[in-house]
Amino acid sequence: MADDEEFQSSSNREEEEEEEEGSCFYFSDQYDEDDDDDVNEETVLEGLEDGAEEDCHWSVSSVITKESLLAAQKEDLRKVMELLVISEQHARTLLIHYRWDVERIFELLEQKGKERLFSEAGVTIIEGKGIDLSGSTSMYTCNICFEDVCSDVVTEMDCGHCYCNDCWTEHFIVKINDGQSRRIRCMAPKCDAVCDEAIVRNLVSARHPDIADRFDRFLLVSYIEDNNKVKWCPSVPHCGNAIRVEGDIYCEVECTCGRQFCFSCLLEAHSPCSCTMWELWKKKCHDESETVNWITVNTKPCPKCHKPVEKNGGCNLVSCICGQSFCWLCGGATGRDHTWTSISGHSCGRFKEDQAKRTERARRDLYRYMHYHNRYKAHTDSLKQESNLKETIQRKISISENKESRIKDYTWVMNGLTRLFRSRRVLSYSYPFAFYMFGDELFKDEMTPQERELKQNLFEEQQQQLESNVEKLSMFLEKDFQYFSDEEVMDTMRHVFNLSNVVDRLCKQMYQCIENDLLYPLQRATHNIAPYKSKGLERASELSLCWDSDQSLKGMKTSNEDSSAQCDSAADGVSNAGVNVPAAGKRTGLQFHGSSSSEDSGCFSQKRARRDGPGDAPLFDLNVPAEVVDKL
Amino acid sequence: MLDLSRVQKELVECNKDSDISGVTLTLHAGAADLTHLAGTITGPLGTPYEGGTFHIDIQLPSGYPFEPPKMQFITKVWHPNISSQNGAICLDILKDQWSPALTLKTALLSLQALLSAPEPGDPQDAVVAQQYLRDQPTFVVTARYWTETFAKRASVGIEEKVQKLVEMGFPEGMVRSTLELVNGDENMALEKLCSS
Repeated sequence: MADDEEFQSSSNREEEEEEEEGSCFYFSDQYDEDDDDDVNEETVLEGLEDGAEEDCHWSVSSVITKESLLAAQKEDLRKVMELLVISEQHARTLLIHYRWDVERIFELLEQKGKERLFSEAGVTIIEGKGIDLSGSTSMYTCNICFEDVCSDVVTEMDCGHCYCNDCWTEHFIVKINDGQSRRIRCMAPKCDAVCDEAIVRNLVSARHPDIADRFDRFLLVSYIEDNNKVKWCPSVPHCGNAIRVEGDIYCEVECTCGRQFCFSCLLEAHSPCSCTMWELWKKKCHDESETVNWITVNTKPCPKCHKPVEKNGGCNLVSCICGQSFCWLCGGATGRDHTWTSISGHSCGRFKEDQAKRTERARRDLYRYMHYHNRYKAHTDSLKQESNLKETIQRKISISENKESRIKDYTWVMNGLTRLFRSRRVLSYSYPFAFYMFGDELFKDEMTPQERELKQNLFEEQQQQLESNVEKLSMFLEKDFQYFSDEEVMDTMRHVFNLSNVVDRLCKQMYQCIENDLLYPLQRATHNIAPYKSKGLERASELSLCWDSDQSLKGMKTSNEDSSAQCDSAADGVSNAGVNVPAAGKRTGLQFHGSSSSEDSGCFSQKRARRDGPGDAPLFDLNVPAEVVDKL
Repeated sequence: MLDLSRVQKELVECNKDSDISGVTLTLHAGAADLTHLAGTITGPLGTPYEGGTFHIDIQLPSGYPFEPPKMQFITKVWHPNISSQNGAICLDILKDQWSPALTLKTALLSLQALLSAPEPGDPQDAVVAQQYLRDQPTFVVTARYWTETFAKRASVGIEEKVQKLVEMGFPEGMVRSTLELVNGDENMALEKLCSS
């Protein structure tokens, strides 16, 4: 590790060796001694600079809007079409069946061969159809309606089955209304062939154009709904976007609508908790199951008024506030006469010890939960309070900028604040993580008590480091630097800058520790956590291209009447009216939105200002059909 | 809309050779239109259902033949894929494997085939299926008994039932009133008589 080499040269050789053994840094211990802190901060900075960034967890996310949905799937379609030399509709049928996993299709092609790959997906390709009915005027008996029909109104499917157009249409409509648009099978018994989408579209639109539209839409959104790598943004009200992730699907993303979420479970971003942990934690916090648990173990319902009664000392004859006496051991109503050892006419002392154990256990569990929950909540609350800090700081900055001073650049304050938000988040979610990691609920048999203790110490050490540095960062950011002398400002700036880096580093280490030392050795359970990103959540970049062409789904209405209308609506900040808007004629040209020219940049329906421009070069490579790339 | 002309053609077609095929298709008694039909199938030879005639209630949805017909046994049957409670049928072609190219006749023939080849792996009636898998002889006896009792009921007159029950040792008056009470169902009458 290049990382380590550099550390060796620094003054804290011992600490470095510690780290190699999977332990952690001890900055904060020394940070309190003011003389030393700069040295330590510098050390960390050196480590950061070699740029050993987030390792194997790469993921690129992009936003798919209603407008770019068609363009987004073109690439996958094209790959399959080219490799297997098939038409677009057959490629689509294959992709729908294999959940838009192009790699998998290629793999299965190796394993099973073309024929089985096709037949399992319902793709039938017959070279030269059996009977050519078009043109002839003979009569044909349809096997569905038993009518004799003229052979120019019958249609033969790819699989060779032939029925009259009326019956086909009726069949298609029933299937579309049944939500089976993506797999409309042939009408012949036991025939698994999927019907030609062009035939479906033509026949259905002749009678019910609205149903034909619905059919097209179903095919179009299949790319989102039958695809593990694309998911609808969970925003409410729905922004209409979907997010596509390439690479590691365990990641946290931000939609252009501003919604941040865990791509895997679609809940709020929750790393370093795994999705399972977070789901459990939410549930636990929500229904206070622990409280309920405590009540059931520590109280008994009064046999008269049924309120839960807690025993606050004394003997086993308990009186409820309603006046009813009852035996604590069996819960039965009794009289009032008793001694310290017995209640008159009542004896049931057998399970006393067991009961005591259960009570003890429940109390311990509750205290444990409270410990983690209190800290989780404290940090979440701090996060909320600190978000008010943003305005305060902006005010302070404007004061500072206007005063007589050498220092004019105050971006470091906002940068420090952003770092504070991010690390505070990590810190607060690290508590539910620890609750499950070192509790009995998920990993009871995965670790011996010794192992658990060791790992818990390791983790808590890092957590404490992070916590104390985060608090310190918070403290420096709250200083009233607008009244400081230049020197004091410089000093604060140095602290904020260095603490930001320390905190970033510590977050990174904590995630590494979780992944390598805590989760990786687990035998039975797999828990994936979204990787830590110094820059914060991955902001999905917009697919910057609308593409439509002659070969594409005919009549598929994916965009507004023309590109200018699209620009207008986007510029107004109104999201596009979407898939239903009838396209005026077929667009055959290619339209680029978001090329480098400045007037085009207004065309994006951005709801939120973003730093990274939407026209990133690698995106083009990924999402643009080859012929378009060539023209670029 | 329901394709009436097809249903009419099916009715004619099906009854052409019903003495050979063993299936019949008629309008349901009191049905106002062609959406409610009644079918019968004869129990396949060499099975515990041999000799029985099984009545099947057929409802045609408005999307027929593009949607499958709804079929249900009226006659009580002891069979792993048919509910012993309500006659509901578990057969793929009546559900997702339905094809518009199938007809009511082919569906009834499939039911007949189902009687000769139960599929206990995909049961409708778990109790029957368990018995079929674990204790075939008892299954056969029960299925035959149900066939005798329910699928041949039309041929067994009320007098014979009375006689049978009287022979078991119940007083005749009581037998007659009980039978009347349960609409001539011999089994239910026996149950009632035993419990009273």
